[in-house]
Amino acid sequence: MRRLLFLSSFLLLIFFLFIWWVDFRQPAPVALIPSLSGEVEYCLTCHADLPEISASHPVQIFGCVSCHGGERLALNADLAHSSMRGGSNPSDLSVVAESCGGGNCHSGSEADDRHHIQRVTSSIQSTYAGAIANIRFTFGAQVDLTPVFGMTSISDNETKTGIKSLAAFHPADEENPFIQKFGAECLTCHVNAAPREGEAYARQTGCAACHSVGEHQMTTAIPYTQCNACHNRGNYDLRSMTFVERTDRPTSRLADYYQPIAQFTRCEYTLDCVDCHTRDEVMGDGDIHANQKSIQYVQCKTCHGTLDELPRTKTLTDPNDIVFRMSFLNPVMDLKLGDTVIVTEQGEPLWNTRQLPDGTFEMVGKATKQYFTFKPVMGTACEQKPDEQESRYCHECHAVEK
Amino acid sequence: MTNFSRRDFLNLARDGFIYLSGALALGGLMRFLGYDSNPAPKTEFEIGAADDFPLGSRTLLTEIPAMLIHSPDGFVALSLICTHLGCTLEEDSRGFSCPCHNSAFDAEGGVTRGPAAKPLRRLRVEVNQRRGVVVHTE
Amino acid sequence: MRPSFFHHLHPPTIPAAQARWRHTLGAGGTAVFLMLILGVTGILEMFYYLPNPEDAALSVQRITYHVPFGWLIRNLHYWSAQMLILVSALHLLRVIFTAAYTSPRRFNYLLGMGLFLLAILLDFTGYILRWDKSICYPLLTGTNLLKTIPLIGDALFVIATGGGEVCSNALIRFYTWHIFGLTIVAVILMAWHAFRVRRDGGIAVPPPDSRADTARISRNELVRREALAMLIVSIFLILLSIFFPAPIAPAMSASANASVTESAYARAPWFFLWIQQMLKWGDPFTFGILIPLAAFVFVALIPYLFPHIQKNEIGAWFPKSNRMAQIAIIICLACVLVLTFINR
Repeated sequence: MRRLLFLSSFLLLIFFLFIWWVDFRQPAPVALIPSLSGEVEYCLTCHADLPEISASHPVQIFGCVSCHGGERLALNADLAHSSMRGGSNPSDLSVVAESCGGGNCHSGSEADDRHHIQRVTSSIQSTYAGAIANIRFTFGAQVDLTPVFGMTSISDNETKTGIKSLAAFHPADEENPFIQKFGAECLTCHVNAAPREGEAYARQTGCAACHSVGEHQMTTAIPYTQCNACHNRGNYDLRSMTFVERTDRPTSRLADYYQPIAQFTRCEYTLDCVDCHTRDEVMGDGDIHANQKSIQYVQCKTCHGTLDELPRTKTLTDPNDIVFRMSFLNPVMDLKLGDTVIVTEQGEPLWNTRQLPDGTFEMVGKATKQYFTFKPVMGTACEQKPDEQESRYCHECHAVEK
Repeated sequence: MTNFSRRDFLNLARDGFIYLSGALALGGLMRFLGYDSNPAPKTEFEIGAADDFPLGSRTLLTEIPAMLIHSPDGFVALSLICTHLGCTLEEDSRGFSCPCHNSAFDAEGGVTRGPAAKPLRRLRVEVNQRRGVVVHTE
Repeated sequence: MRPSFFHHLHPPTIPAAQARWRHTLGAGGTAVFLMLILGVTGILEMFYYLPNPEDAALSVQRITYHVPFGWLIRNLHYWSAQMLILVSALHLLRVIFTAAYTSPRRFNYLLGMGLFLLAILLDFTGYILRWDKSICYPLLTGTNLLKTIPLIGDALFVIATGGGEVCSNALIRFYTWHIFGLTIVAVILMAWHAFRVRRDGGIAVPPPDSRADTARISRNELVRREALAMLIVSIFLILLSIFFPAPIAPAMSASANASVTESAYARAPWFFLWIQQMLKWGDPFTFGILIPLAAFVFVALIPYLFPHIQKNEIGAWFPKSNRMAQIAIIICLACVLVLTFINR
């Protein structure tokens, strides 16, 4: 009895010392009070070596939790990460409204041109409405090309395209085996799908599919390599409903960019996709579309004009013009009041262009930062016809032989 | 040490273990109770453009609390926290007085009536190009 | 030497045979000690716990990760609580297996049953105070069960929860039940139960003329044994607390996320798994209220249903003259265990 008492007192002391040691060993928590929320977060205790995600989202202002969710006080990894939105990608479309959204962030009003989440979720790259409608029509599941299904259900009450809503596409519910195969083989390229296996296809989902260029990096200077994860990877064969990967191993920007079967001008492979294709084209204009042609409209003449027309331009007189806001995020061109920029047929300003005093134009690549000058077609020896403005006509003379 | 047997030693050791454990527990309890989770209070207050406070003006800043005085020598902010036990002073005809224990100060912060013993703190005022007038409490 | 206060709380001597560890397992005393630990650690947690729905789960995280030794206090509180249920059950089994419940101890047995029920309710209300995603469905289903009781169900529901949407509103009421309402009753019953142990003649033994062993131990020796038991239980609790952290889930107020909704946490707390299993079979009132209540009442009535014991077998383990009671409680225990383990 006395021995036991002695022993257990001794053990108690040992364990109390052990408790103090355990507590002493714990790493000091690193607090961050982001100015946006005012609520302390301790993510940096473990993640201090992560790079700042972008110059426009500094961690001192945003913190981590406002975008990622998570348990801000927890110092245990499992608990801290348990309520994160979208795993490591809070821009996945299933959670994007809470992560990137909010009136002060990226889901504002259409009038302000801040309704980015609404436009992306209804865009053709997200809904796949046209592809799905086309396949179903081709194989007899619907009587015309009017879109019925999209990758997720979505509705648009203020539609300007006449398409008010889409239901969620369930390939398993389809009767035709070709449509089922389409569902099994061909749906890995919409914005919110997990990509195919393979380094060439590697990308994130949601907003990060385009805007995330590396681990924990966001940018608006999107290089063509981002687009390449889905575009120009091969071709599909409708009869066997399979995707045929391109067989070449690209070795240069020219070869990497487009597939061997295509013809392109030097302009098209020197610039990045985002230098021509506008925000409305890629992210959507807020309405549900079912055909690439109805949303993709930029052509050579948008910048170069035609023999009869100069490219449309706009002179900047309002300091609150959206052009300054767009240029601010990636100021490749130092735009000032009084400058004239090119404007597309739909009124979208090309903020990386500027008219020079002699009527020609200058341009800086958004991702490459390369400087270019170019002249309008009017007054040159170009042999184009006014009604043949598709790029294939320009390629007849200007395509680069690969 | 003549009658100190092995049993007495073991008993002493046992009691020592218990007392040491108790001390560790008490120390742990003090650390436990001593944790302050409150965020540090604000130490900088941006109160506006310098032109809003013309020469000769005395402006009551309730948030800090302080009295901003613009004299020919520049800006100074008198802290309105009573130097006795911390209540917020009220303005009166002769300067400031404290509702808690009746201390009184003159318009420049000097003590005119106890129990306060120290004059009012003079807070640093910075006139910043971008931020305007900034009062620092640290 | 005059006895100290603690020594004086004990009788001058008690029979040696019944004072052995293997006789009572020290279960009752351990239960008292665990209640003491629960009280102290609970009060310490009250310095930091914020009993409102927005802050509750965050304050638990603050205690766990930021307050010095907060993790220890919380884990001690958690493990003491779960051990209390097990130790109380062990004590109940021991009392039945040694036929120690027979007259004059029948009323004290009922007091003990009341304490057991309070311990379970305290465990449940304390678990709810986490206010994280894992408690919502147990809270909802458990309190909705009250509503199935005819006549008084709706009133009972409001008394227990304060009414309305429980996963939004019930926190402050459960806090008050846990800190005060149930605790005050438990303290009173504990004092009464301990008093009755003394008044009924201490640990159950055969009367002096039927006793085989008449040796006795002094109160000093008894206190020494109790001190040793407390030290051993403390060490065990500390080991559990260091190596097995108390469960914690994301805050209820955390954003809705497909992988972490409340439906990921649809499992009842371990001591109610047996009821959850039965509830899968049919009518909630029958399987969730009637049957558990009937089981509880049956066990409470064992002293009245199986009162016979031969005098010289009182306090002996598994006395032949009380076989029916032993079989009955083993069957009840087996049912609860089987139901618990088949619940997936």
